[in-house]
Amino acid sequence: MTTQTIERAAAPRAWSLPRGRQLAIAGAIAALLAAAWPWTAGQFVLHLAILACINIVIVNGLSLIDRCGQLSFGHSAPVALGAYGSVLFSTLFGFGTITAAALSLVAGALLAGALGWVILRLRGVYFVLVTFAFAELVRLVLLDAASVTGGANGIAAIPPLSIGGFAFDSRERFYALALALAVASVGFMVWFFARPLGRAMTAVAANPALAESTGLNVQRLQVVAYIGGSMLAALGGVLTARYVGFISPESFGTSASVAFITMLVIGGRKSLFGPMLGALVLTPLPELFRGAVQTQHIFYGAALILILRFLPGGIAGLLSLRAARGVGR
Amino acid sequence: MDWHLLMGQATVNGLIVGLLYLLMAVGFTLVFGVMRMVNFAHGEFYMLGAFAAYFFTTRLGMAFLPAVALSFVAAIVVGSLLEWCILKPFRKDELNGMIVTIGLAMILQNVALMSFGPDPVSMPSIASGATTLLGITVANSRVYVVGFAVVVLLLLYAFLRHSRGGRALRAVVEDSETAAVQGVRARIYYPLGFGIGVGLAAIGGALMAPLFSVSPFMGQTPLLKAFMVVILGGLGSIPGAAIAGLSLGLLESYSTLFLSTSTADMLIFLLVMVGMLAFPRGLIGRGEA
Amino acid sequence: MNRMTRSALGAMVLGAFTLHAAAQETVKVGALVTLSGPGAAWGQAMKNAAELAADKVNAAGGLEVGGRKYRVEIVAYDDKYQAGEAVTVANRLVFEDKVKYIIGPTGSAPTLAVQPITEKNQVITSTLGFTNKAMGAEKPFSFRPVVTTYEFSEPQISWMVRTLGVRKAGGLFPNDESGQVIARDLEAAYKKNGAELAVKEFFERDRVDFVPLITRMLSRGIDTIELDGNSPGTAGLITKQARELGFKGRIVRTGGPATAELVTVAGKEAAEGMIVHAVIDPGLKTTVAYVDAYTAKYKNAPNGFSPSYYDFTNMLFEAMRRAGTVTDSSKVRIELEKIADFPGVLGKLNWTGKSNYGVDHQLAVPFYVAEIKNGVEVIRARCTVVEGCN
Repeated sequence: MTTQTIERAAAPRAWSLPRGRQLAIAGAIAALLAAAWPWTAGQFVLHLAILACINIVIVNGLSLIDRCGQLSFGHSAPVALGAYGSVLFSTLFGFGTITAAALSLVAGALLAGALGWVILRLRGVYFVLVTFAFAELVRLVLLDAASVTGGANGIAAIPPLSIGGFAFDSRERFYALALALAVASVGFMVWFFARPLGRAMTAVAANPALAESTGLNVQRLQVVAYIGGSMLAALGGVLTARYVGFISPESFGTSASVAFITMLVIGGRKSLFGPMLGALVLTPLPELFRGAVQTQHIFYGAALILILRFLPGGIAGLLSLRAARGVGR
Repeated sequence: MDWHLLMGQATVNGLIVGLLYLLMAVGFTLVFGVMRMVNFAHGEFYMLGAFAAYFFTTRLGMAFLPAVALSFVAAIVVGSLLEWCILKPFRKDELNGMIVTIGLAMILQNVALMSFGPDPVSMPSIASGATTLLGITVANSRVYVVGFAVVVLLLLYAFLRHSRGGRALRAVVEDSETAAVQGVRARIYYPLGFGIGVGLAAIGGALMAPLFSVSPFMGQTPLLKAFMVVILGGLGSIPGAAIAGLSLGLLESYSTLFLSTSTADMLIFLLVMVGMLAFPRGLIGRGEA
Repeated sequence: MNRMTRSALGAMVLGAFTLHAAAQETVKVGALVTLSGPGAAWGQAMKNAAELAADKVNAAGGLEVGGRKYRVEIVAYDDKYQAGEAVTVANRLVFEDKVKYIIGPTGSAPTLAVQPITEKNQVITSTLGFTNKAMGAEKPFSFRPVVTTYEFSEPQISWMVRTLGVRKAGGLFPNDESGQVIARDLEAAYKKNGAELAVKEFFERDRVDFVPLITRMLSRGIDTIELDGNSPGTAGLITKQARELGFKGRIVRTGGPATAELVTVAGKEAAEGMIVHAVIDPGLKTTVAYVDAYTAKYKNAPNGFSPSYYDFTNMLFEAMRRAGTVTDSSKVRIELEKIADFPGVLGKLNWTGKSNYGVDHQLAVPFYVAEIKNGVEVIRARCTVVEGCN
C-alpha cells in the first residue's frame, strides 16, 4: 500500500484565489469607493446620490410586490402617504421626526394591508388598473384636502430628521443615512428571498395556480408582499420629505409611478440587484440630458422596449448578476 | 336658469363628452380583446390624430371631414406597422406588453414635443355660433362633431357586424384559439385590430381638435378616461365600453353641476374602484375577469 | 535648458498671452424657468428677455464692472412648473453652475420650494409667481419684476365697475397656489368696489373642457366672466367655449398679459370686446423697439411679461456696476434695492411693496386697461401702482 503524502498547499494568496472570488472582492472595493465618492465630489453630486439612494429604497419596494406576482402601477401612492404622513404626524400631533416617521410607516402598512386584502383578488392587468386608479385617487385627495395638506401648494419648510440632538440637516449627513438605508434595503431583499417566505413568494409569482395547489395561500402571501413593498415605499417618502424639505401632490403622480416601473424594468426585474442598478443609472440621467428633455424621454421609451425585447434581465442581466437571481424566475 | 334647463344642458354636455369617451374606450377595449394588451400609448394616438387633423387642415388646406378620414387611415397604417414591428413579440404577454406600450407612449409623446413644441395650438372652428333648442344651447361645432362621431360609430358597427373582416375580428376578440382553428389568420388580424383600435382613438382626437386646443400633452386625460370606462364596462367588451363611455360622460356632467370638480373627480375614481372590485367582469358584464 | 523645458515655457508664455487676450471672464446668470407644458409661454418670455439683455451688453464688449469686462452668459434649465423639478434645478444652478443671480422661477409653488436654497446661499431670484409669500423681510434676495393681482386688480376693477357697470362676476381658476391667491385677491378687489365675485370655480390645470363649469357658472346669473389666473391658452379656451354656450356678457381678464395667445385660441370674434390688463403701450417707443427686437430674434411676439424681465436684467447689471462686483451678491442686492427711476423699456421704474410684503422688492411697472378690438389691444386707461387708473 502506497501512502501518498498529502501535499500541504500553501496558504492561498489573494491573487491566486479563484476568479469568481477575485471579481467579487474587486467589485466590493469598487462599490465601496463609488459609495464614498459623493462625499468628496461636491453638493450637487451628493444631491443626486441622495436621490438615487431614496429611489433604491422605493424601487426595492416595488420589486418586492412584483416578485410575488403583481405589478403595482400606483407605487407613488404609498410614497406620498409616507411623505405626508411623517410630516403631518409631526405638525398635527407634535411627534418627534423619528416617531412620526415610524408612525407613518405603521399607518402605511395598515392601509396597504386593508387595500391589498381587497384588491389583490384581481389578477394581472386588472390589478394594474386598480392600483393606477387608487394612486390617482390619493393624489386627488391630497390636492383637495388643502386645509390639512396644503393642497396644490404643498407643505414647505419641513424640518430635517433628528435623533436626540443630532440633525440630518446637511447633505453629507443625510447621504450617510440614505446610503445606509439603501444598502439595508438591498440586503433585506437578498436575505428575504433566500428565506422560506421569500421562496414561497417567488413560487407564487412563477405559477400561482401551482403554488395554490401545493398549499400556499396565494392571496395572503401577496398581501404580505404588498404591505412590505408599501412600507419600503413609505420609507422612501419619509426620506424625500425630510430631505427636499418640500412636498406637493404633483410629485407623486402617474409620472412618478411610471418612473419607478422604468427603473425596475431597466435595472432588471429578475435580479435582486435590478432595482439598485435601475435607480443608480436612471436617477442622474436627467441631469445629463437636461436641455434635451425630449431626447431623454425618447431614450427611456426606447430603452424600455429594447430591454424587454432583447434583454429581459435588464442591466443586471447584462452584468450577469446571476448569483442573486432567486429561485425559479 | 331653472332646473329643467340646467339638467337638459348638462345631459347634452354629458352625451357629447360621453361620445368622446366611447370612441376612446371602444378602441382601447378592441386592442385588449385582440391582443390582451393594455395599450398605454392609446392617449398618444388620440393626440397624434388631433395633430394630424390640425396639420391636414391648416398646412395642407384640406376640409375638415377629409382631414379626419385621412387621419384615421394614417393611424391604422402607423398602428399596424408599430404593432408588427414592435409589439409582435408581446402579443398575449400582458404585463410585458403593457410596459412596452408605456415605452411607446413616451416615444410618441416626445416625438410630438420635438416636432410641434410644447405650446398648445389651435385649430379653426368648423362652425361658428350656437343652436338653441328647447332652451338648451349647443355650440354648432359640437353639433357637427357629434354628428360625425355617430356616423363613425355606425360605420364601425356595420363593419363589425356585417363584413367578413369585422366578423373575423370579433371572433378573435371573443376567442382567439377557436378563431385560429377556424382559419382566421393572426398575422393579419393582430396588426389590423391594433390599427383599428388606435385609429378610433385618432378619430376621437381629430374630431375633438377644433373644440379644444391641440398639444402634445393632450392624450393623458383621455387615456385615464379610457381606463375608467373599460374597467366599468369590462375589458374586452365592446358594448360594455360603449354604454360605460356614455354613462361616464353623463355622470361627470351631472356631478360637476352639484359638486366641485375635485370632489366629482374623486367620487368617480372611488366608484370605478368599487365597481371593479364588486363587478370584476364589468358593471355591464361580458368582460373577462 | 533642454527642449522639453523650452517648449513648455514657450507654451506657457503663449498660453498666458492667449488667456489674457481672451481674458473675458464670464458672469453666469441662471434662468430657472418653465420651458415645457402650461406656463411655457411665460418661461420662454423670461429666458429670452434675459438673453436679449445679455446680447446687448456682450455686443458692447461686455459688462463693465470694477474696471473689468465680463461676458454675460445665461444658463437656463426647465423646471416644468413643478416644485420638485425646480428644487433639483436650483441645486444644479447654485452648486454646479455656481450662479448668484437667477431669472425666475416662473411659478409660485416652485418659487416657495427653491427659496430655502437661494436665500441660504445669497442668490438673487426674480419670480413671476403671484403668491404674496414670495417676498418678505426675511427673504432679502427675492424680487419680483412683474406686477401681480394684488397691485393691479383693485385699480383695474375699480375702473371696470365705474366705467362698464360690472356687478356680478364669475371666475374659473386653476387649483394651485397661484390660482387660489389670485381668486382671493380678486374677490377682495371686487368687494371693495361694490361689485361681487359671486362664483369661484377651481379646476385641474390640464383641463380642456370647461363647458360643465361654465354651465354651472352661468346658472348663477353672472354678467361678467373673469379670466385672470389662467394660462393664456386656457383663457382662450374658456372664452371660446363660453361664447359657444351663448354667453353674451363681458369677458374680462384682470391680469396676466395673454392677448396674442388668447385671440389665437378663441378666435377674433369670441375675443371681441374683452377687457384685458396690458403691460405694453404701443405708443411707447422703447417698448415697441423691444418687441420688435424680440420678434426679430425669436420669430414670434413676446408674452407681455417679457419686457419686465428685460428691464430687471438690466437693473441687475446696473446694480453690479454700482456695487463694483459680480460675485458679492449681498452688495449687488443692496445696490439693486437702491435703484430709483430706472429708465426701462416700460418707462420709469421704481421699487414698491413695503406696505404689503414688508420690503420694497416689487417692481412698480406701469400698466393699462385695454379692450380687444379685432384681435388687437386698444388702450382705454392708463394706470400706475401708486395712483390707480385714470
